[in-house]
Order: sequence, then structure tokens, then C-alpha cells
Amino acid sequence: MNKKGFALIAAVMLLIFSPFIFSLFYLNLVTEILILAIFALSLNILVGYTGLVSLGHAAFFGVGAYMSAILAREISPNFFLTLFASLAAAIIASAIIGIFCVKVSGFYFLMLTLAFSQMIYSFVHQSTTITGGSNGLSGIPSPLIGSLDFSNPVYFYYLILLLFILIYGGLSLIVHSPFGQVLIGIRENETRLKSMGYHTTLYKLAAFVIAGGLGGVAGSLYTSFNSFISPSDVYWTMSGSVLIMVLIGGSGTMIGPVLGAAFIVILETIVSSYTTMWMMIIGIIFILFVVFFPKGIVGLGKLLLQSFSKSNKLSAISGKKSNALYNNDVKN
Amino acid sequence: MDIIGAQLVNSISYGLLLFVITCGLSLVFGILGVLNLAHGSLYMIGAYVSYSITVHSGQNFWLALIIAPLAVAVCSLIIEMILLRPTYQLGHLSQVLLTFGLAYVIHDMTAAIWGSDVLSIPLPQSLSGTVTLFNQAFPVYRLAVIAIGLILAGLLWFIQEKTRWGAIIRAGLSDKEMICALGVNIQLVFTVVFFIGGYLAGFGGVIAAPILGLYPSMEFQTLILALVVLVIGGLGSIAGTFVASLTIGIVETFCRFLVPELSLFVVFGLMAVVLIVKPNGLLGRQVVKH
Amino acid sequence: MKRKLFLIMLVVFLAVLSACGNSAIQSTSKKEEGGSKSGGTIKIGVLLPDSGVYASLGKHLHKGMELYFDSIDWKIGSKKIEIIKEDSEADPQVALRKARKLIDQDKVDILTGTVSTAVAYAIRDEVDKKKIPFLVSHAGGNDLTRSKRSDYIWRSSFSSWQIGNSLGEWAFHNVGKTMYIAAADYAFGREVSEAFKEAYTAAGGKIVGEVYPPLGNNDYSSYLTTIKNAKAEAVYAFFAGSDAVRFVQQYDQFGLKEDKKLIGSGWLVSEDVRKSQGNAGVGTISSIFWDYSIKTEENRQFKEAFEKKYNERPTIEALEGYDAAKIIAEALTTLDGDASDPDKVVEAISNVEFISPRGPIKFDKETHHVIQNMYIIETKLVNGQTENEVIEIIEEVRDPGK
Repeated sequence: MNKKGFALIAAVMLLIFSPFIFSLFYLNLVTEILILAIFALSLNILVGYTGLVSLGHAAFFGVGAYMSAILAREISPNFFLTLFASLAAAIIASAIIGIFCVKVSGFYFLMLTLAFSQMIYSFVHQSTTITGGSNGLSGIPSPLIGSLDFSNPVYFYYLILLLFILIYGGLSLIVHSPFGQVLIGIRENETRLKSMGYHTTLYKLAAFVIAGGLGGVAGSLYTSFNSFISPSDVYWTMSGSVLIMVLIGGSGTMIGPVLGAAFIVILETIVSSYTTMWMMIIGIIFILFVVFFPKGIVGLGKLLLQSFSKSNKLSAISGKKSNALYNNDVKN
Repeated sequence: MDIIGAQLVNSISYGLLLFVITCGLSLVFGILGVLNLAHGSLYMIGAYVSYSITVHSGQNFWLALIIAPLAVAVCSLIIEMILLRPTYQLGHLSQVLLTFGLAYVIHDMTAAIWGSDVLSIPLPQSLSGTVTLFNQAFPVYRLAVIAIGLILAGLLWFIQEKTRWGAIIRAGLSDKEMICALGVNIQLVFTVVFFIGGYLAGFGGVIAAPILGLYPSMEFQTLILALVVLVIGGLGSIAGTFVASLTIGIVETFCRFLVPELSLFVVFGLMAVVLIVKPNGLLGRQVVKH
Repeated sequence: MKRKLFLIMLVVFLAVLSACGNSAIQSTSKKEEGGSKSGGTIKIGVLLPDSGVYASLGKHLHKGMELYFDSIDWKIGSKKIEIIKEDSEADPQVALRKARKLIDQDKVDILTGTVSTAVAYAIRDEVDKKKIPFLVSHAGGNDLTRSKRSDYIWRSSFSSWQIGNSLGEWAFHNVGKTMYIAAADYAFGREVSEAFKEAYTAAGGKIVGEVYPPLGNNDYSSYLTTIKNAKAEAVYAFFAGSDAVRFVQQYDQFGLKEDKKLIGSGWLVSEDVRKSQGNAGVGTISSIFWDYSIKTEENRQFKEAFEKKYNERPTIEALEGYDAAKIIAEALTTLDGDASDPDKVVEAISNVEFISPRGPIKFDKETHHVIQNMYIIETKLVNGQTENEVIEIIEEVRDPGK
């Protein structure tokens, strides 16, 4: 635990000092990674903790993003207004869609979420007068808090960092709470929980709404960050790429989706500068992870750590201990 | 009245085209339980290979129709042996993800081989004429697609229901251990089914190419459409896939005719409605949870 | 103990790092760095799709640019031209990320490119804020030189309005008095058909129906049956790429060509899709700002040079790339290759004027949009292959800018 806390402090410190270390381009990249990490974290509630694989999560990202874009353009770019309105809109959307989706499971759940997200996509794409159609909405004013203007990338970075830490902390609390344990129980064996008297459908709906709402928050932040939103961010490929982030990072862990988001964004940005075959590279890496490290980057990291500590302390007791720790972590 | 009739012919032709494209996916999923997300990619390889064959053989469509599906089936066989066979113990979800990663890889491979230009395959000479039905000219090829779809559906039904192979396959689906105990080589069954699935995907690619054309990212568009057909029909049921293909053909064609604004919306709307009302698809069996 | 030490070291390390180097906090608090930008080379950032649906358009634009820069030996005065390519992946958000890289990291002097209008709109604010001259070499969305106009954005390609408007009046007088419209359902298709409708109805024509199939629609049979039964003399269509191949082919296969003439934008039967259409495109009339068949000395030289270098015919995108490269080079030549002052660069761009393979071009200083000839072309069968032929030239078409 101590080790974990230590790593956490180091990571947070690195993030706090980022604007002093990185050039503007990389700082913007980190900001984008943090926003997409929030998005991936929200999906992880469904995929990783509740065991519901969704291929329609971009719908809520889109609802939040467009809500915030329209409000910022038409009413006021006040950050809290756009953020909370997006949250509310995404919660409403996910509650309505969720009622239908949580009734089915497995592959049918995946396809139903896809269906709803594609319907939202076609709405966004067709309603040119509201959403700008295929060209999207641009020239969205940058967010304001009081008179503080967040068009400065460094200020905006800190704002995102603060929100990211809050959301990360909040989600950690949720998944470790009794509520989170019920979700994990649903993932492991829904029938058993049902027979224990849990109203699992309600729990699943709650997970769906939390995931959707946070997805909307991520969308809203993305709009504020880029001053732009277009239907391609609501398309199913966006749902697909966030799902890949969660799976490559390590679903069912807190840090996994964050690492996955960082990994994919960096890969997509850097690799595509050198070759047009970035899709193939992502595909190959994805296959390697599925075959060799099904627990994602987190699993890989743990494997490395384990072999490292094993070679350091060869005594049988410590071996057992780290094993126990490992098992414990998996349960968590 | 004529226009309704004409649209009905359009519907059936489009619906059966969907069936030709989807049946391979449905077969593999129904028997092996593996959702092959590289199905669209196999379809695309079929289309591109037949393009190359027609270009180099003086527009011989029939040669392409014989060779291209076999080539795809071989690709599919290689995929099964190298990628899927060693990973059966990882479980179905992992295998689905594997095929998805594969789709990415194949995407760039075909772009490297065939480039990113828009290509097309001309209609075979003997099928390029038109027939007048309901006071409108229809390309003969569209009507040929209807015939091909019906024959394919009949053939698949016959094999599945009336032959020893079909019996083994149906048995393998319901109880794998039992069929092993009876001395059937289940490994071989898997390989053969995947081979046939690949063949059908390639066949779909060749048949659809003269209508739908060849262009980058065509496989993802096809994949999504095929998945929708699969789900509406009910997973793993060839009959369901057939009914779903026709349903989508009719609903989409008439939607384009009556309320064209909803064209983009309607397929997914239909899928959502079907899943909400009948969560296992139109003709789906109750799928045992893994 | 060890860990505490490590933490302290980390802090020291970070502090040292932040003291030097060009961190974000320094580059946002300090303004103008002055002079450090160019040096001995002129950096041109090219933002085009190399992957995704528009990949082939991006490739042709690249080829055109390289052809021109080859011809001036990649030099302007004493300075070398350096192209920094980034793949926009035809995704606006990715493209914005890449634009930031080109601007902040590579410190390009000029930005050019974008096939998709959404991408151009997405990077518009970034370019405007950071004062980077941006020469749009394809994206045709009207608003880019209208409501989204920026001091630093100039467009050398076309606007949707120019494409649609140019055929309207001509179609009324030469094709028919009633028209059906079929266009791909996205902003570009809507804008072009809107411009056509405006000009066509102003001339006295009547639109009897409209249909907008989704972008990437695979089967047009249902729409074609509807169109067939409509009482229109001709059909105005806007489709591009794979949509154009399918629409034109299916239009022919369903026998519509015999009773309704097909007219539309040049992309319906452009150089890169026509060979995939077989003979289906024969008889189509379209409007565009360049065609392979333009018979001028400039175009002959361009075609010859392109075919020599790449062993294939140039497409309209290749021409756009070629012209964009030439505009940048001509503008910078007047500044002796000094691209350090963005205001001077855009001023120089605004004064560029030459005879391009597409005819004379110059910029409208009010709208920042190119003034160019529009050509009405007919697709004909020559020696068993389809070829376009210019049948009418509309000179100096200027976008109204609102």
C-alpha cells in the first residue's frame, strides 16, 4: 500500500509540474489525455466493474459535448454552467437509454448501445441548424469562471488536472464502496446476486447512469478544450477507440484506463507522423495484449513488478506474500 | 401501384444482397460461438482479389467468382490456425477482440496492396442487361443477386438440417464434450466451419463488389451492417439471418422511398426496437450465458 | 528514508528542468520570440489525410505540391523549402492535435491543406489566434471565407457556392425547365445543391423534388425508383468518391439516363472516379474549376510534367496542390523568402495573381477567396473510354462572400 501511495504522489507531482517541463504541444497533449482518461474511466465503470461491454459510449460524450458547445455559444461560456448542464443532459440521456439497455446482456447489450449511439449520431448529423451537421460547431468561446478566462492552455491544464483528480478519487471511492462491490458481484455472477435479493437491474442502471454522466463531463471538457465539436466524435469509431483504451490499459482497474488513454493518444499522434500504417500498429499491439497480457498495461506492469521483486527476494515467504498481495489487488 | 412493386423488387434484391454478405458471419457465430469481427475484412479481401483477377483476366467475372472466395477461405484458414486455434482457451471475448485487432491489421494491408483509390468491378457481360418489371428497368444483375441469395439460403438450410455434417454441427453447438466423446474430431469441425465462413465472406465480397464498389474503410461499413442483420435475426440462426436480411431490405428501401430523411436512422432504430421487444432477435434461441 | 530522498530529488529535478528549456508556461507567458522561427529554411506545414476515406485525395494534393516545388528546386531565393507533413486522418480532433504540433512544436511559417471542411473549421481558431498564414487547398465549405473569415486564412481551391451556382443558369437554358435534386447528405452536398437551386430557380427553373441519401450510402435503387417516377426533365446530383461511382453506375443501370439527363458537380465524373464507372458517365454534364481537357498551354505543361513524374493522370486535387504550392512560392518570392512576419505573408498572398492550368486566378481581397473560371464539361466516349470535354467557360466567378 505504501508503495502504491508513493507512486501516486510521484505521479501527481509529475502532473503538477508538467507545464514547467513540457513544451506547449506536449502540455496540450497531456490535457487531451486527461480528458480522454476521464472518458475511459467512465466507460470502465461499465466494462471493467459491471461487466457490461458497451459500444455506444460516444453517445454520452457527444450529448455532453454538444450541450456544452450550444450553451457556450448561445448563452454563456461559464465553465460551471456548461459543465453541469452537460452532466445533467448526459445523465438524462443515459437514464433513458439505460432503462432499455440493462435489460439485455452480453453481445445484445453491445449491439443495443451501438444502436442508440448511432441514432444519436444520425440526429446530430441531420440537425444542421442546431448542431452544424457534418461540419460540426466551431468557434466555441473558451470557458470562463467569473472573469478568469481559460483560453490560456496552462490555466486550462490545471483546471482539467483538478477535475481529473477529483473524478479519479470519487470513482475510487465508488468502486470500493459496498455499491461498487455489488457491481463487481454482478460482473462475476449476476444470478447469485439476484438470488441474494439484490435488485441487479437497478444497480446496472445506476452504473450506466454514472458512466454516461461522466462521459458527458468528458465531452463537455473536450469541447471547452478544442473550441470545436463534430459528429465524428459521436460516431461508433469513437466508442470503439475508448473501448480499446480501457482494454489495453486494463479493464477493472482504476489506473488502467488512464494508461490506456495515454498509450493510444500518444501512439495515434506520434506514430502517424511517421507512417500511414498506424492502424496496423495499433491492431498488432492490441492482438499482442489480448493474447499475452489480457489484463492490459496494468497486468503487464504487475507481471514485471512481480518478477522484479521475486528476483530480489528469493525467500519463499516474501514470494507468498507478494502473491497474496497480488490476489488481493485482483479482488479489489 | 407500379412504384410499390418496383420498390418491392428493390427491397428483396437489397435484402438478399445483405444475406449473401452476412451468412458467413452467422454460420461461424452459430456453430463456433466466435463472433468474427474480421468478417468485413474477409469480405473486403474477396472484393479486392476479384478486382485484381478481373483486371488481369480481361474482365472475367466468373473466374473471379471461382477463385476469389477460395483465396479468402485460405486466408480464413490461416487466421484460424495461427491466431484462433492457439487461443481457444482464452475464451470467446478474447477471440472477438483478436478478430477486431486483425481487422485493423488487414485494413492497412489492403491499403498497402491495392491503394486507397475508389475501384469497381464491371458487371459480367451476360448479366449487364436490363429487364422491365412494374414499368421500370431493372439491371439483370440485381435479379441474379435475388436468385443467388435464394439458392445460398436453400443450400445452407439443406446442409444444416439434412446432412450428417449438419447433424454434427448442430450437435457441436449444443454439447461439445458429448460430440468429442462420440469420436468426432471437433478440432476439424472448427477448422472446416471457419474455412466455409471465410469462403462465404469472400463470395459475398465478389457478388457485392459490382454493386457496392471498393473503397477504403468499406469493411467497417459492411461489418456494422452485417452485425445488425445478425442481431436482428437472432444470433446463430441462419433462418433468422435470412428473415432479418429481408426485413431490413424492405424497411430500409421503403423508408428511403417514403421518409428519406430517416435513412441514416432507420436500420439502427429497427435494431433497437427488435432488441427491446424481442431481446434474442427475431428467430433467436435463448443463448446460454457463458 | 530512501523514498523520501527520492521524492526530494524528484522535486529538485523538476525544478531544474523547469528553469531551462522552452516549457509551456514560458511560451504562454512570453509573447513574440522574434526571429527564432525560420532561419535558413521556410517551413510549410501540410495537413492532409493519408489514411481514412479521403486518403487518395490527400495523396494527390501531396503529389501536386511536390511537382511544383521540384520545378523550383525547393528553393525560394537563398532559402530552402521544407515540407512537414502530418496525417489529419480526416478526423477533426486528430487534425487539431496535429495542427498544434505543426504550429507549436515544428514552428511552421505557413500552413496549408485540409480536405475535409470540418477539419478546416476545427483548426480555424487555432490558426487565427496564433497568426499562422493558412492557405486552404481543398476544403470548400462556404463559411470559411464568409462568417468564419480570418485575416490569416486564404483559400485557393473553391467554395461550394462556386460549384453549385455556376451550373444553375446554364442548366435552365440548355438542359431543362424542371429539375430533381439528389445530393449526399452532408454539409458539402447541401451547400452545393443549395447554390445550384438558387441560381436555377432565379433563372426561372422549377425544382420538382429533392432527396438526400446519407453519405456513404451503398444502394441507390430505392431513390432511383422514386426519381424515375418524378416529373422532372433532368437530375442535378452531388456525389463524390465512392458515392459518385455507385450513383452514376446505378443511375445508368436502372435506365434513368435515357429519360432524364444527369448533371451535377465535377466530382460526379472526375478523373479519379471515371475509370471505375465504365461508360455509365457518358452524357453527364457537370461544372468544375479545372478539368484534364482544358486546352491551354499552361494546362498542357502541367499535365505533361505530372505524367512524366508520376506516370498517371493528374486529378483535380493534384492541380489544387500544385497551385497552392505555387501561390506560397510566389508570395514568398516577393518577400525574398522572409516568412517571419505573418501579416506580410498574407499581404503577399493576397497579391498573387497568375495564369494557372485552370486559367487566370487571383484573390478577392474582401473575402480571401480565389476568383477563377468555372467550366461546364460534358463526358463523352472517345475510343472506347470516357473523356471530359469543356463546352462552356464562365469567366471570373467570384464568391459573394455572404
